[in-house]
Amino acid sequence: MTSKLNSQERDARVMRLYEQLLEIEQRLIPTGLHVFGQAAELQEKADLLRMVASFDRPEHGTRALPKLVAEALRIENYDALLNDSSPSETKEVIDGLVSQAVQKFCESGADSAADWLNSHAGVEPDKSIPTFSLLTKVAEQLDSNTELDSLMKALRGEYIEPGPGADIVQNPMVLPTGRNTHAVNPYSVPSQLAFARAQHTAAALLQRCLEEQGHYPRAMALVLWGLDNIKTQGDGVAQALWLLGVRPVRDALNRATEIEVIPLEELQRPRIDVVMTVSGIFRDLFAPTMALLDKAVRRVATLDEPFDMNYVRRNVQEKMAAAEPCDFDDAVTRVFSNAPGNYGSNVNFMVMDSQWESEATLGDLFVTRKCFAYTRDSKGRSVEGREAPHLMNDALSRVEATYQNIDSFEIGITDVDHYFEYLGGVSKAVETRSKSRPAIYLSDSLSPQVKVRTLQETVRLETRAKTLNPKWYEGMLKHGFRGVAEIENHVANTFGWSATADAVDPWIYTEISKTFLLDPIMFQRLVELNPHSVRSLMKRLLEAHERGYWNPDEDVLETLRERLNNFEPEREQIA
Amino acid sequence: MNVTVLYVGSSLLAPLRDAEREINRAYNLDLRIAAYNFGAVLDDDGWYEVEHDLSQANVVFVIHVMDGENAARLLASLENYKTRHAAVIVINCMPELMRRTRMGKLDVSKLAGAFAPNGETHGSKSKRALRLFGTASSWIGRQTRGHSTTAMKSAADGGGNGAKNGNGSKHDHGQYLKLVDRLPGILKFVPGVGAMRDVKNYLNIFCYFLQPTPANIQAMVLCALKEYVPDARLAQAGIKIPAPEHMPSVAIYHPDASQLFETFAEYRNWYITKSPNSKFQIPDFKDQGPKSKVQSPKSSESVLDPSATIGLLLMRPQVVSQTTKHYNALIRAIEAEGLSVIPALSTLMDNREAVGKFFVGKDQSKVQSPRSKVKSKDQRPKTKDQRPKPEGQTTDNEPLTTDCSRVSQIVSLTGFSFVGGPAMNDSEAAAAFLSELNRPYRSAVSLDMQTIDSWRASQTGLNPVQAGMQIAIPEIDGATEPFIYGGLPERGVEPIALDDRCRRYARRLKRWNRLQTAPRNELNIALVVFCFPPNKGNIGTAADLDVFPSVWQALRKLKDDGYDVELPENADVLRERLINGNAGEFGSTANVGYRMTVDEYRRHCPYVNEIEREWGVAPGNLNSFDGELMIQGIQLGKVFIGVQPTFGFEGDPMRLMMARSGAPHHGFMAFYTYHSKILNADAVVHVGTHGAMEFMPGKQVGLSGECWPDRLIDELPNVYLYSVNNPSEGTIAKRRSYAELISYLTPPMENAGVYRELATLKDLVMSYRQTDKDDERERLFESIEEYSRLSNLQVERAGASHPS
Repeated sequence: MTSKLNSQERDARVMRLYEQLLEIEQRLIPTGLHVFGQAAELQEKADLLRMVASFDRPEHGTRALPKLVAEALRIENYDALLNDSSPSETKEVIDGLVSQAVQKFCESGADSAADWLNSHAGVEPDKSIPTFSLLTKVAEQLDSNTELDSLMKALRGEYIEPGPGADIVQNPMVLPTGRNTHAVNPYSVPSQLAFARAQHTAAALLQRCLEEQGHYPRAMALVLWGLDNIKTQGDGVAQALWLLGVRPVRDALNRATEIEVIPLEELQRPRIDVVMTVSGIFRDLFAPTMALLDKAVRRVATLDEPFDMNYVRRNVQEKMAAAEPCDFDDAVTRVFSNAPGNYGSNVNFMVMDSQWESEATLGDLFVTRKCFAYTRDSKGRSVEGREAPHLMNDALSRVEATYQNIDSFEIGITDVDHYFEYLGGVSKAVETRSKSRPAIYLSDSLSPQVKVRTLQETVRLETRAKTLNPKWYEGMLKHGFRGVAEIENHVANTFGWSATADAVDPWIYTEISKTFLLDPIMFQRLVELNPHSVRSLMKRLLEAHERGYWNPDEDVLETLRERLNNFEPEREQIA
Repeated sequence: MNVTVLYVGSSLLAPLRDAEREINRAYNLDLRIAAYNFGAVLDDDGWYEVEHDLSQANVVFVIHVMDGENAARLLASLENYKTRHAAVIVINCMPELMRRTRMGKLDVSKLAGAFAPNGETHGSKSKRALRLFGTASSWIGRQTRGHSTTAMKSAADGGGNGAKNGNGSKHDHGQYLKLVDRLPGILKFVPGVGAMRDVKNYLNIFCYFLQPTPANIQAMVLCALKEYVPDARLAQAGIKIPAPEHMPSVAIYHPDASQLFETFAEYRNWYITKSPNSKFQIPDFKDQGPKSKVQSPKSSESVLDPSATIGLLLMRPQVVSQTTKHYNALIRAIEAEGLSVIPALSTLMDNREAVGKFFVGKDQSKVQSPRSKVKSKDQRPKTKDQRPKPEGQTTDNEPLTTDCSRVSQIVSLTGFSFVGGPAMNDSEAAAAFLSELNRPYRSAVSLDMQTIDSWRASQTGLNPVQAGMQIAIPEIDGATEPFIYGGLPERGVEPIALDDRCRRYARRLKRWNRLQTAPRNELNIALVVFCFPPNKGNIGTAADLDVFPSVWQALRKLKDDGYDVELPENADVLRERLINGNAGEFGSTANVGYRMTVDEYRRHCPYVNEIEREWGVAPGNLNSFDGELMIQGIQLGKVFIGVQPTFGFEGDPMRLMMARSGAPHHGFMAFYTYHSKILNADAVVHVGTHGAMEFMPGKQVGLSGECWPDRLIDELPNVYLYSVNNPSEGTIAKRRSYAELISYLTPPMENAGVYRELATLKDLVMSYRQTDKDDERERLFESIEEYSRLSNLQVERAGASHPS
């Protein structure tokens, strides 16, 4: 079949592979765990520093090194180039220069790096010095650590300085650690910057939907978390507003409490109906923002616009005119969260515990836990968590795509159980209610260029960059007992994507078993470090097979079963 | 006649009600004052009432209104009833509302921008008055503009740090203080007739408002009535309006004193003579606290001992208007714990002045190097070696009296940012100031925009408007312990205290004080680790953190710093002792550190009955063995390392399917009961992101004694080691379990690189790209396809980019 390819097709294919390889290779991953009070155990700081230097940071008066290089080389369309995912020689030249400059920085400091960049790329030192100074500060702070001193201060009842919370790449001001992390003023969200960024992300998301489905989704289900919305000052919120085609307006106290409709002529596309499933944490931290989102949906639903350009209005009107008609307040409810004072969908607990029968149960559980409506009704009365499964079921039944914003390299979709609990949970709920599996997307918003990927692509990428990558698991295994538990947790979280979205290729399970369980040396190593987690890992892989997510050769199964049987039966655990 | 007041806050409601009564008594005017708290957005029914009153009003006051939605409705109504309203007096509101001020010939909407007309008819005094009017009427507008520019700055600062103010607003702050102090004096010379009359009236009213004593508020209302309402009764009544009463802009207040104190010395003299043994100690509260070795108060030397004195920051208008019941109760609750207080009136915009004046000693001879120097940047260890530096300060628990602070903790009751006031926050300046002072900073909230009853009934707790302004913003200044301690009762006009909350708060302050003062080797410290999903292999779960080496490091540091710690040989030994030990005997996940009988549990925990309704008769089947509750952990000297139980419904499909979770299970409750009542922990340190306690059911923020996290953490100071990349869940711990977060670094991050087949594949691809010979490419392509299969890397659409 491949022989039929002409040379151009062949080239294109190779370039695609190259692009994917680069994506894996350059992805930032954790290569170990932190030990409280110890300085960063970075073998190589250059990767992290290069990423820190990849962003304009107006608040520090620093520019992105790649942009400085591009300007010095008089490359005019650098932004467009950056946003084009395909490899280009220009981009590689720029990246190469930046890499070498950062390497130079690591070896001999800011001044010589700036000089180097001046002589090799013509970047005036005046422009690059602020960026290298920031890198100096970051590097120094990574080399020292005062967490233990802070802990002692706290235990002596002294003042602990406040500090922001984020990924280091996102906001180097999180250093030094050992501070009392704070959230943000909810009324400041979304920031102008977040709103500007979200325009690109929303456009990329809809473009991807359009390419794959051939039409805009009639409705989307969005997962909103406190995590990314604090760290980005509201990327996720701003994306929801863009999908609806509205922008936030600030009041006299500079609080984002009002919205303004973006005219269709300007929007140039239909307004997308969005069902927002909001984490309990978002609900607690961003009550005014939930109100803003609710207000936005209500406003859009009442616009006098044609159905084919305003999906919110169409869906609301159709619902109100349905066989079992309902009033406007019910038809327009789109913001759902947990019951007040409750958190989480419990889908993660159920998956981890293996005591579920059909996948549909997981979607039902999601709705049971998350069907509490938060809104202000037509009379201006505040509704704080009205249990409304029928409204949520109905809203989800029209959803064609689900989506969550990912803003972090540090917390990825297989690192924690919350991503599958939420995005997986809502996707399964949509699948059973709409009678069709939705397209599931994630964005990568902490990146110099915005990317939108399908869930399957993201699972593959995360698995390759982390779980199966010796650099990752050897880094974890340096931490012995806990490292094995981390590997087991990653596999369990990966399994969560099978259970909720069938988004894990069987080869992933095969490779996991080869890497950790079938290789006798590795297996022995893991057992010695933490037999409890090895046991859980084997049970999980066998469960993946039993549930039909993986169908390996019988001898693989035999080996796994045998090894599991050789373990001492562990007593029933108490909580 | 009718006056309608639309107002955000709680200090004017009582003076207005008193003014109505007093004016009617004195002048028999049949006056009705309808005052509305305009803090939260009104619903239709609420608005209907306001609208009705507005339709009847002769004079309308609009004060502190900044909310766009309420304002939009209000603007329309003011327009509707324009002819009905003899005067509309707008004070410190958003610019759109300020423009609605209309008094006699003064119509702000018709003034063109500048407030300095150059007509010859005005003398220099008049010009000055006009300038003052400009300042008074546009002050808030400038504040919020200042806020806008700083907010843009903070928006650019992607990490969400607090806003910073610029020079302009500091200038405004100075101007405002000047206004408060000097306006009455200046006004004496402004002509009260002719064109300037209405300007002078506005400024007079503004003066009364700035010093909202009951008499001044009465005068404020009378002034507006007399000057603007065309009613014969007013002319006949012979109304006399007294000059404004003046109150100092900063001072010390105490409920037992008959006057404010303008200096600390005056306060101290009074405080010492004030009988220390009768009033201060309410017998009921005694001896219920931890059986501590803390000296029993209070000899005259211990009165205002800086190591046992709480500095309180009070809202000035609240004190001036004599609506201080909630303050009084909190002050008395703190004193009942044997602590002294310095309750200082703070200026609206900047608490540094009051703190500098009253909480910091001027006696330089006594001042030694401030403790905060310990953490100055150049002394931070630069090496990976964390063994303690011989720094002296870190090893002996020197009392906090050696520096110049007069207080051991600062509690703000202002509900605003430490520097910046209601419209902005300069958190950088706040943190710098507080770091230098090095005293923990707390912020407690009084319910101003909802009633106590509605808060009690609410499942969400504190109103979002107040939560945003009075919890989230103080947190950016480093504030902790966000308690609700009082609020407006139903149909009440002034805040009252929530006694149980005041007591809980006072006791928590007392506990923190013990950490500051007790010899370290007497302190019981508890470290709590997590285990999720529940399984032996997961003991020590925490995002990004290797927990056992981390705990071991903490133990070593504690030992070095003089705490009583039995330090295991290394982290592995520590782990083995915790996860194995006697676990086998009790079928538990980890070593059992304490077995609590059900009797003991019932004796110490007042919530057992409630828990039994949900989880059955104690001890239940979680964390229990042979009829007793198992507290998992190990004791190492005076340090206990416990394993927090899990929610308990993880393996229980029935409970998992419930929309609402209920009480924690007996094992969970017993774990914390053990810490607070049996171990008598002086502090608990939760190790890593994150546990279950702060996610137990209850209000979201502004907890009550009915909320489970509040019951679980009880009076224990809570320090929480939390991943720096997780500000959201960390904030839940801060708000719902009163945790002080200590951020920890995220793991080392490096590029993933390529490996095994992927590495080969990349080499092949690179070779392919480097050659332009077609046959070689064809040959390489075959290998590429082969390795693409081997590595399962199929061509896919590797991430859509934004089409630019």
